[in-house]
Amino acid sequence: MFPKRFVLKRLLLLVPVLLGVATLVFSILHLSPGDPALTIAGERASQEFVERIRADLGLNDPIWVQYIDFLGKVARFNFGESYVINRNTTVREIMANTLPVTLELALYGQLFGVLFGIPLGVLSAVKQDTLTDHATRVGALAGISVPIFWSGPLLILLFAQVLGVLPTSGRISSVYNVAAIRTTGMVTVDTLIAGEWEMFRSAVKHMFLPSIVIGVYSTALISRMMRSSMLEVVRQDYMRTARAKGQGAKITVLKHGFRNALIPVVTIIGIQFGGLLGGAVLTETVFAIGGIGTLLVEAIRVGDYPIVQGTVLTFALLFTLVNLAVDVTYSYLDPRIQQ
Amino acid sequence: MSSQDDGVSRRTFLGAAGGAAVTVGLAGCSGTDDGSDGSDGGDGSDGSDALLRYGRGSHSSTLDFQNSTSGEVAKVTEQIYDTLINFEPGESTLTDGLASDYSLDGQTASLTLKEGVTFHNGEEFTAQDFVATYRRFVDSEYEYYAGDDYVSAYGPFTLGSWIDDIQVDGDYEMTIQLTQTYAPFLRNLAMFAAAVHSEAAIEEFGTDLSENAVGTGPFELDTLDDTNEQIRLTAYDDYWGDGPQVDEVVFVTVGENSTRAQSLASGELDVIDGIGAQSSQQVSNADGVELVRTDGINVGYMAFNITAVEEFQDRRVRQAISHAIDTEAIVEQIYSGFATEASQPLPPNVLGHNDDIDPYEYDPERAQSLLEEAGYGDGFSFELATFQNPRGYNPSPIQTAETVSSNLGEVGIDVEINQQSFSPFLEYTAQGRHDACFLGWYTDNADPDNFAYVLLHPQVDEGELSDGQDWVSFDAEGYNTSNRASWANQEYMDLVEEAQRTTAESDRAALYNEAMRIAHDEAPWVYLDYAEELRGVADRVSGFQIAAISGPYLNLVSLE
Amino acid sequence: MSTETLRTGEAETESRGLADRVRASPFLSQLLSNRLALAGLTIIVAMVVIAIYARLSLDLDLISQSQLGTNPNRAAPSSVYPFGTDGQARALLPRVAYGAWYAMLFGTVTVGTSTVLGVGLGIVAAYYGDVTDNVIMRTMDVLLAFPSLLLALALVSIFPDELGLWRAVAALTLVYTPRFARVVRGAALTVLENEYVDATAALGATDPRVLVRHVLPNCLAPITVQSTLNFGLAIIDLAALSFLGFGASAGTPSWGLMLSNGVSQGLLTGVWWWSFFPGLFLALTVLGFNLLGDGMRDALDPRMREAVD
Repeated sequence: MFPKRFVLKRLLLLVPVLLGVATLVFSILHLSPGDPALTIAGERASQEFVERIRADLGLNDPIWVQYIDFLGKVARFNFGESYVINRNTTVREIMANTLPVTLELALYGQLFGVLFGIPLGVLSAVKQDTLTDHATRVGALAGISVPIFWSGPLLILLFAQVLGVLPTSGRISSVYNVAAIRTTGMVTVDTLIAGEWEMFRSAVKHMFLPSIVIGVYSTALISRMMRSSMLEVVRQDYMRTARAKGQGAKITVLKHGFRNALIPVVTIIGIQFGGLLGGAVLTETVFAIGGIGTLLVEAIRVGDYPIVQGTVLTFALLFTLVNLAVDVTYSYLDPRIQQ
Repeated sequence: MSSQDDGVSRRTFLGAAGGAAVTVGLAGCSGTDDGSDGSDGGDGSDGSDALLRYGRGSHSSTLDFQNSTSGEVAKVTEQIYDTLINFEPGESTLTDGLASDYSLDGQTASLTLKEGVTFHNGEEFTAQDFVATYRRFVDSEYEYYAGDDYVSAYGPFTLGSWIDDIQVDGDYEMTIQLTQTYAPFLRNLAMFAAAVHSEAAIEEFGTDLSENAVGTGPFELDTLDDTNEQIRLTAYDDYWGDGPQVDEVVFVTVGENSTRAQSLASGELDVIDGIGAQSSQQVSNADGVELVRTDGINVGYMAFNITAVEEFQDRRVRQAISHAIDTEAIVEQIYSGFATEASQPLPPNVLGHNDDIDPYEYDPERAQSLLEEAGYGDGFSFELATFQNPRGYNPSPIQTAETVSSNLGEVGIDVEINQQSFSPFLEYTAQGRHDACFLGWYTDNADPDNFAYVLLHPQVDEGELSDGQDWVSFDAEGYNTSNRASWANQEYMDLVEEAQRTTAESDRAALYNEAMRIAHDEAPWVYLDYAEELRGVADRVSGFQIAAISGPYLNLVSLE
Repeated sequence: MSTETLRTGEAETESRGLADRVRASPFLSQLLSNRLALAGLTIIVAMVVIAIYARLSLDLDLISQSQLGTNPNRAAPSSVYPFGTDGQARALLPRVAYGAWYAMLFGTVTVGTSTVLGVGLGIVAAYYGDVTDNVIMRTMDVLLAFPSLLLALALVSIFPDELGLWRAVAALTLVYTPRFARVVRGAALTVLENEYVDATAALGATDPRVLVRHVLPNCLAPITVQSTLNFGLAIIDLAALSFLGFGASAGTPSWGLMLSNGVSQGLLTGVWWWSFFPGLFLALTVLGFNLLGDGMRDALDPRMREAVD
């Protein structure tokens, strides 16, 4: 019963939406104050030099020419070359370089969230309205209320400076040449694959705090979702089954309820992963790990428009696809929604 | 109910226990206290490679000195490449580079190059390599020209505008014909942008030289790691000069000053730069590391946009404002003493600095009377444009702006602060849209022309100037936008032009002395400070020579 | 509870006093019996009081400008300076208090504006359906797909630096509008299923009247809940933008900016109080809104609850 028509309809709708996003990104960047030619040329350039660059970038062309050119390039995943941060290197390459960093963080955050969030959520639901439940709920709320850029630095202060047991920043000790054994770009994975145990330990030590910080946030979110989802399902099922079979069916109901409650949570995890990628921006900044988030912030700061365009557009595509996948999964699992 | 509960709690317990185990395991790993991994950069004494870890504030993703004007790029290329002429480490005097002999006579520069120098790819260095490098930078007809979108503004600035022709005699003799007599030329050859590529590498890599490096320098490229923002170099054993004495160098990027200083203090780094007033405290207070300082070759100032603001067109107003601002307090309190008060555009360690000129004294009363004389006793208002992020010559721009504002408020002048981030700020002021602005300049070649001509000469045709007017619009044809004051003082311009064409040092000095006197008296800028250079160096590092220009000289460094 | 019972209940209670009305409204009474929600409300009220007090009694110029020479620089918390002083010798207590004002003010503007815009879009989409619905909601979907911070970052660069924190407000308003639009549309659809509205339309009532008088009031509950939850998010995002340097201009006593300074200049030199206090207040305020919002959501009709994010 795969909802083919539904999927096709949504895929078709994808096209105007992405076109809209591309147009939005193009307009944002052309509305921004700032002259890329001056930025690239730098302080030592003569006016003549600046003009040369401006012509070279096609900035003197009429705006609609630039727009069509932009759309054409973007359709082929060509985001151009960086203006400032890594001149004469394609944005695609730059993003490929930095993505693994963010991915690693998000992955660990997600892992934490699933490992701790699901059990906590179940516990909270099962012990509803008891002290445990209240404590967990407040804890989870605190977890999503505490800003990463407050807790992170304080943790660094505590563990790196006061206690001196963890490193101050970075992904791995600079003593190791981790680029030489690169496979995925994620330090913990690469060092593991290469069997370099000392390097692996270094990577783990460095990624420990950032992972915890993002993990706490993810745990809080997932435990809340798990709890409410579980309560919803159990309440319905329990009522029905209890009436039909009598009180002794509670255990079966809870087990059955758990499985059902997991469905929306699993799909939410998919969407939340995207949110984690975004939340990584702050974690990256705080722990001085250069990922896509830091790249975007830096690009905006210096006016490196191709990078801003590329990053924003890629995220848009990614999340739209994730949304679609989630909707499809949901509709596949719950036939009611297909109507 | 109970078994379900146990199930849940067991799961939760295991999860928590697992977490605890991980924590304990990691705590056990740290061994020594300092947060490093127990294996800090080896020092070579036990047979392991001596690794020098240099920490800086931002990554440089290009290895090609012709591709960027950034100082971050320079730090790395200085280790991999050589220039024909060098700066003496820690000084601003010139010494041999790839040229063993060099001289400048009128419009001709003659150089004799060293023999027996090899590139990292084994090729012998000859004059042809320099010619190929030069043509790649500025000659669009050259087969291997890097392209308009690739070459940096240093192309014309350093070489292109001054070189007419290069003649090569054999492999080691070179004569360069200049477009005019240009006294700073030999110093330009010492700039990082004038380094030498291997002709073979140019032909092989083209624009991929931004990721591959083949130089004659003490270190060769091992890895350019953009993901982790690190650059690793290994020692080049056939280096023609001193050292290298360490086996490996890694440039590490740590964005925040305080984090970088902490990493130095905890033993994760060996040398750091980019130290501000706050982080300097961290370095001074920490054990096992030292704060090293020296005079910089730079100037920080506030420029009056004379064309734009009528009040600024009266010299007395500019002088009044110079007297009204307490630069001593700024330097002592805001810059924490890591700078000295400025009195003129040239810093003290540059040829032509006029030692007889003192900074404007803080004297609000004199300021008030000057204003009254000029007819502005009731005051007026103007906008001060500033950038937000700290720059070496102005480590606390907002605070400095606030001090200026409150100082001038005392004499009835109302200052409105317009703060922007650096890129938009540069654009805004390059277009002359400011009333007044903060800015500064770090020298490219320690030559007076680099300050006096580049920053205060309008460089427009005679026809654009008006008689009796000491200013010219930013919109004038060919206007030099680096002159943020729009100042056009004929006497000053004549002196500086002549000094540019005078090669005899003492004559040049005299010309600049006079020019500085004019610049001080006419006050197109409020002269704020000359900032010091600061580095943090771990005790295990020896031989580190702090330098205000060029460097770091990592070939001189050893680890114990 | 269905729309009918709610309205009947309201009609009956109109003539009674406030306390009776509260008791009679299932939503409010359930909300107030929720201790966590009450705790949240208390925190929020406390912050609002601090905010207003700070705004009325403190001189913004005085606490923004450098006090070097007047106060001790980088002083640790003491009885004279309970929160210590920062790198420009400014006392932190009044700055943190004023930060509450900024948080409340800018939070209100952001959430208020995005609520109005979102409600408008959501109701229009729900009522007119079909193409209008699809176009509006697909656009909203795309905007929603971005993590709020990333989209805000991209948008904030359009606005000139001089606007300071207002840049962040403008960007975040655009970012949050879709959330409201989606929630309101969901709630409005539920309401529109009710035959009563169709009957009114059949009787010839014009579109706006139907929308305003019948659909809107019944969406109020989820709108309120969403606003409350978003308020916490808004405050954190505003702080985050200031932290990254895209919000408040230097010197402004904004929590995010104080955290940024505290982290980059203070933390590792040992002056933990620069970032500790602003962050503490920030976390507490957000917690308050989240507690209240959570409680409100619990008190909601389950069908409405699904619509809320």
